[in-house]
Amino acid sequence: MKDINEDIKWAQINKDVLRSMENPRRGYWIALIACVAMIACAVAAEIYQYQYGMGTANLNWPHMWDLYIATFIFWIGMSHSGTLLSAILHIIHADWRKPIYRFAEAMTTFSLMTAGLFPMIHLGRVWNLYWVLPYVTDRGIWPNFRSPLVWDAFAISTYLTSSAIFLFIGMIPDLAICRDNARGWRKKLYTALSLGWRGDDRQWRNFRRTYLVMACFLIPLAVSVHSIVSSDFAMSIMPGWHITTFPPYFVAGALYSGCAAIITLFVLLRYFFRFEEYMTISVLEKTCKLTFAIAMVWTYLNLIEFASVWYGHDVPSKEVLMDKFVGPYAPYFWVMIFCGSVMPFAFAFRKLRRHIPSMFVLSIILNLGMWLERWMIVTPTLSLGYHPIAFDTMWPSMIQWAIVFGSFGWFGMLFLVFVKVFPSVSMYEVKEMVYHRRGLAGKDPDAVLHSRTGSDDRPSSSSSGGGGSPGGGTPAPGLEGA
Amino acid sequence: MSLQNVLTNWSQYRKTHEDGGFYDYEHMWGMSVDLNKCTGCNACSVACYAENNLAVVGKEKFDKGQGMHWMRVERYWDEPDLAAGESTEFSEHGGSFLPMMCQQCNAATCEPVCPVAATYHTPDGLNAQVYNRCIGSRYCSNNCPYRLRYFNFYSYYESSWPEPLNMQLNPDLSVRDKGVMEKCTFCVQRIRVAKDTASRENQALVDGDITPACVQTCPTKALVFGDLINTESKLSKLWASHEVELGKTEQHKKNKEKRGYRVFEELNTDPCVMYLERVKEV
Amino acid sequence: MSGNDINRRKFLKVMGWGGAGAALAGCDMPTTVTLEEGKETVVSYLMPEEYVIPGQGVYFASTCQQCPAGCGVHGRVREGRVLKLEGNAVSPINEGGLCQMGQAGVQTHYNPDRLTKPLLRKGGSLSEVTWEEALAALDEKIGANSSVEGGKVAWMTGTVSGHQSVLLEGLLESLGGAKHYVYDLINNHVAAQVNEAMYGTTRPTYHLTKAKAVLSFGADLVGVSQSPVHFAAEYAKFREAPRGVLIQVEPNMSLTGGNADLWVPAKPGTEGALAMGIAHELINNHGKDASALPSGLNGKIKAYDLAKVETLTGVPTDKVKSIAKILAEKAPSLILTGASIESSENGYAATAAAAMLNVLLGNVGETITSSGGFPFPQLDAKTGSGADLLQFADAAGKGAIDVVFFHGVNPVFTAPGYLDLEAGLGKIPFKVSLSLFADETTNQADLVLPLASALEDWGTHVPAYQPEQSVIAMQQPLMEKLYPATKGFGDILLDMLKLRKVEGYTDFSDYYAFLQDAFAALPAEFKNGVDNASFWNQTLASGFISIPKQNASITANALDIAVTLPGENINYGLSLLPAIRLGMWDGRHANIPWLQEAPDQITKAVWGSWAEIHPKTASRLGLATGDFIKVESVKGDVEVPVYVYRGVFPDSVAVSVGQGHQAYGRYAEGRGVNPLTILDSATDGKTGEPALYGTRVKVSKVAVNKDEILVQFGGSESQVGRKLAATITAEVFNRTEGA
Repeated sequence: MKDINEDIKWAQINKDVLRSMENPRRGYWIALIACVAMIACAVAAEIYQYQYGMGTANLNWPHMWDLYIATFIFWIGMSHSGTLLSAILHIIHADWRKPIYRFAEAMTTFSLMTAGLFPMIHLGRVWNLYWVLPYVTDRGIWPNFRSPLVWDAFAISTYLTSSAIFLFIGMIPDLAICRDNARGWRKKLYTALSLGWRGDDRQWRNFRRTYLVMACFLIPLAVSVHSIVSSDFAMSIMPGWHITTFPPYFVAGALYSGCAAIITLFVLLRYFFRFEEYMTISVLEKTCKLTFAIAMVWTYLNLIEFASVWYGHDVPSKEVLMDKFVGPYAPYFWVMIFCGSVMPFAFAFRKLRRHIPSMFVLSIILNLGMWLERWMIVTPTLSLGYHPIAFDTMWPSMIQWAIVFGSFGWFGMLFLVFVKVFPSVSMYEVKEMVYHRRGLAGKDPDAVLHSRTGSDDRPSSSSSGGGGSPGGGTPAPGLEGA
Repeated sequence: MSLQNVLTNWSQYRKTHEDGGFYDYEHMWGMSVDLNKCTGCNACSVACYAENNLAVVGKEKFDKGQGMHWMRVERYWDEPDLAAGESTEFSEHGGSFLPMMCQQCNAATCEPVCPVAATYHTPDGLNAQVYNRCIGSRYCSNNCPYRLRYFNFYSYYESSWPEPLNMQLNPDLSVRDKGVMEKCTFCVQRIRVAKDTASRENQALVDGDITPACVQTCPTKALVFGDLINTESKLSKLWASHEVELGKTEQHKKNKEKRGYRVFEELNTDPCVMYLERVKEV
Repeated sequence: MSGNDINRRKFLKVMGWGGAGAALAGCDMPTTVTLEEGKETVVSYLMPEEYVIPGQGVYFASTCQQCPAGCGVHGRVREGRVLKLEGNAVSPINEGGLCQMGQAGVQTHYNPDRLTKPLLRKGGSLSEVTWEEALAALDEKIGANSSVEGGKVAWMTGTVSGHQSVLLEGLLESLGGAKHYVYDLINNHVAAQVNEAMYGTTRPTYHLTKAKAVLSFGADLVGVSQSPVHFAAEYAKFREAPRGVLIQVEPNMSLTGGNADLWVPAKPGTEGALAMGIAHELINNHGKDASALPSGLNGKIKAYDLAKVETLTGVPTDKVKSIAKILAEKAPSLILTGASIESSENGYAATAAAAMLNVLLGNVGETITSSGGFPFPQLDAKTGSGADLLQFADAAGKGAIDVVFFHGVNPVFTAPGYLDLEAGLGKIPFKVSLSLFADETTNQADLVLPLASALEDWGTHVPAYQPEQSVIAMQQPLMEKLYPATKGFGDILLDMLKLRKVEGYTDFSDYYAFLQDAFAALPAEFKNGVDNASFWNQTLASGFISIPKQNASITANALDIAVTLPGENINYGLSLLPAIRLGMWDGRHANIPWLQEAPDQITKAVWGSWAEIHPKTASRLGLATGDFIKVESVKGDVEVPVYVYRGVFPDSVAVSVGQGHQAYGRYAEGRGVNPLTILDSATDGKTGEPALYGTRVKVSKVAVNKDEILVQFGGSESQVGRKLAATITAEVFNRTEGA
């Protein structure tokens, strides 16, 4: 089974992708309105919470943190998928990533934008949020550089900026195609954003170099950002949090939930935008295998955590662990283990891997498991801890649920806007991939790629009328900038 | 200006109690709680409410765990010692009462985690909480093994002090609004007044000049407050007589039977509050 | 402001600079003085009074009025407001300490539900009137020209002492035979009568510090006692090495029981038998001299062999033996009695039996000495008794009372429900309540006279229990009145005396003047050889007058009384035990938010009622902590959440006292239940005291009432193996810390 139809025409690629960006149908609007409604829900809850205080979220002593922080970690985790696909797989030349990395990267940026909201929502006095930044004042007051929360602020803002830039840079050749096919405000937008891309050699050379540098820059950043988030817990002294395996555990969990989210969005985009030509079953299968591998790493790290706590004989830590197994939160814990460690075995079956509806459901189940995992990290520790006088069980209020719910709306809205404004499949990279694959049929790939004597079948991104497509083909329809 | 400041602070950050003594501290306020004398009567707790403008949150919020008792008296029923033939039917030895206030740890776990340094160590050895600086991340409370930090989950001013109850509010310290973490300060306002008075009169602080509200009111004088740097203070002598030292994760006592201990000492928080064990017959 | 309020200027001049004690004034609250009224020149605080240092608290001595113990307090006053009360370190009563109720005194004073104006019942409802109208209404009823019949006037008060008591006596006398009922739910009337019979004094002095062992039959020394802070301080000394042993015998755990070395639950009502059993063991196995006891009593003791005692009391033989052993080995010891033994159907006999142990063990003269007498009987504390309440209810029911005055007591709340005092009060044509709050009794009144709070009023108090050093405690205002239309108790009494046109009182402009005069009249020997003005100022500064005690010797005669035991009741299988704790006290502090939120010391419950049940009984009834039960006696029922623990005798249920107010302000109203409403009519045969511990009830599980759920502080009942409150043995303690 091939990853992509090698015979597809350049113009067809342009046409398909550009088509996905125009004329939103009714379903799109309904989805968008639903997302906005979810956001409205959260905003209302938010306003109420700020008016009356954090107590409305049912937060208490000792449960100072709850769903907000758990969901924050969840969204940060989600952001790792884009980096994995675009940067790591780019560097290791896994070219099957090409049809799907663009929306994964967008997902990275948007989930970071979602995640970034949670520390604010969670703060008691959000209007003083800027105090965590080391801005220069006459008073010489600085943030506390020892605090993992300050590291968080740095790590997340750096990661958000970098991933947004990375997303943007990777889109430039495609934006040029859009520019060439757009009218009205879209024309202006793409003209500005494509930064005068003409697709000449010098531009391509610089583009590739920049892209590679950014990819190399982003990989350690991605690893570090979730390690730093994990240090919010690992750096504390609380039993159940003070665990040295947390950084890799968090990174593995992040990649895991990110991959699962890619599968979800893969299925949705493939179905709604009829991207069957690009998002092939074969690519899905590869993504599934990757997810499966990460799931196993995550499960292994889970077991390590349990085993080391068990072996360590630190009584409070053991109590927290036992409480996870049999305590008031145990049902959620076991659902999480089932979703996160047992369900991925579905990936082992080729039939299932290739069955799109199953994979859709499974990916959602996996992410439910991952969300529960984050909750199971935050809450059971707080409900036990060291001091028995503060043992408590707490359930989040509707305010918290509304805001968590709304965060999905926020992410959905950003993503929906994105797919209609920007190409959600990388046109030039798909062309590259097709070219590549054709070349692989018999020739040395490098020779194919770098040979100037071949056909005009060079992956070109900027030629009028949808690119020099061998064998003609209809020009892609122009984008209406209504 | 500021860069200079950050560099200075940086070296401060790296200084911990393990660097060898408390050479740059002016005082080291500490306490001792004699559980042999404590009856668990709760007077200290109410005195704290009176002195420190603690909000009364009401039944519902108390039930949710949003109470604000800086000084809390814990009561535990101990499991019967079956080997010693203790009754399983009755709590024959009564309860174990434990007054808990902020332990003013020298290696306070709450301090490094605050993103804005709203909680920090004063040159008095106090673990201070700057309400105005607090942004309400609540990390400090999560990281306090004693769970001695209380958060203003709501604005309590209107509900807790209806007129004219608000006239009782102590003007020496603020009423905290929602979104701020608070905790026992060893009545820092009283320390401040005593220090100011002493310096105005050009005299050194004497042991006994400062009495926090809980210590003052204790009917059994189970609580003792003082300066641990001043080796002549009543408190220092008490610590010494019970062979408890600061800066240790484990006390190596010559006489193992001495009663002094610090709660969760093994976590290396280095608390400034020493407890003296409860005594029971048999 | 009414005429005999102390004018601020004058007030300052009087208090002035004679001594360290200067009361304050200063800041006038906007609520009391407005520019429009033009009654006061508003003086900027830029020019404060001489002694007011803005930003600095000044301490003034006074006396705590939260319970009758009479602890000395220092009020911290800043900018004319009292902010905090602290124990007066030189007061021999409390030696600097103060209990939680004392700390909460400021919340009684600043309580938002205070009465601010006199109220007169007009056409069925109370409406605000001026003092002139209120006094006119009084004049009509009890004035010199009224046709009042002295025998049909009654005063019902709580514990009253000092010069207020003098004025009250004068008033009662002028009314010609008006009856004074003194009622306190928390009283030691039975023990006082036993003491009277045994030692010839109602209040001997107890010396915990001299005792090596204390056996307490329900005496909640450090909690609800005659002088909680004093006994707590004594307790601390008692616990120093060599450490005294405390054994507590009671059916449900009190705060003192929670601190005992050995807590022994006896079947309610059988403590007397246990005392006899201990005596039996002491005589038979520890060679105690039985000849110290009356021979008749000796014979009775013989009947109480340990096997019988175990059957009667439920206390195992080996426990009785070990108690006797401790008492025999640790001399001198001290036997004390408290509510659980005194307030039963055989309270007098049981208390006498317990007190007999003091004679047998030779403690009299050692740990129990004479109080030495108090030279001013007219000032001495008149402490309450439940018998007075029963008599009052009887008289009211018969219509034998025309006019009644209430002060410092809330009988509609604290009286047993079967007395139906509300109906009884209905038969009294004119009821006057002198009160700070609109409590249940005040709401029944026809005339309500709003009192100034304890922190705004003058007074002297003689503590009911005087430790080694006797005092007359001085109460002075710590700030100006919050509400100008309130009046001090002494001022109101003086007003009434003026209405009666009683010779000798009409000259005083106010109570303050009366007090000064009274101080001037004190014999010179109490004045430390200074003149009257200095003495006055010294007293204000120290907060009390020391009264030297005479060293009177004490002899004791054990009483020869048979101990009787309560009968069984098959239909009502459980005993009802009132759980009275330091905090709510008898319910008078239910309107203080701090005390509502301060967890009960034993159960850690806040803001409501609870019932304590032993795990055995709970499992039999299928109950767990937090479940609701209906506690039903022949007189009624209450529904209350359960706390299951091992500090209560099986087959009994202890219900907390203090909640269940129908009135009494926003913090108290409609919260919890009042178990006193279901008390049975049992009384102690000898003294006529109501037997608070003598009610039989049955219990059934009912649906949870969401408004009244049990809210407790703390997430764990045990230390789960952590080293939080660690314990060592007394043997080690005495070795390492013994002198």
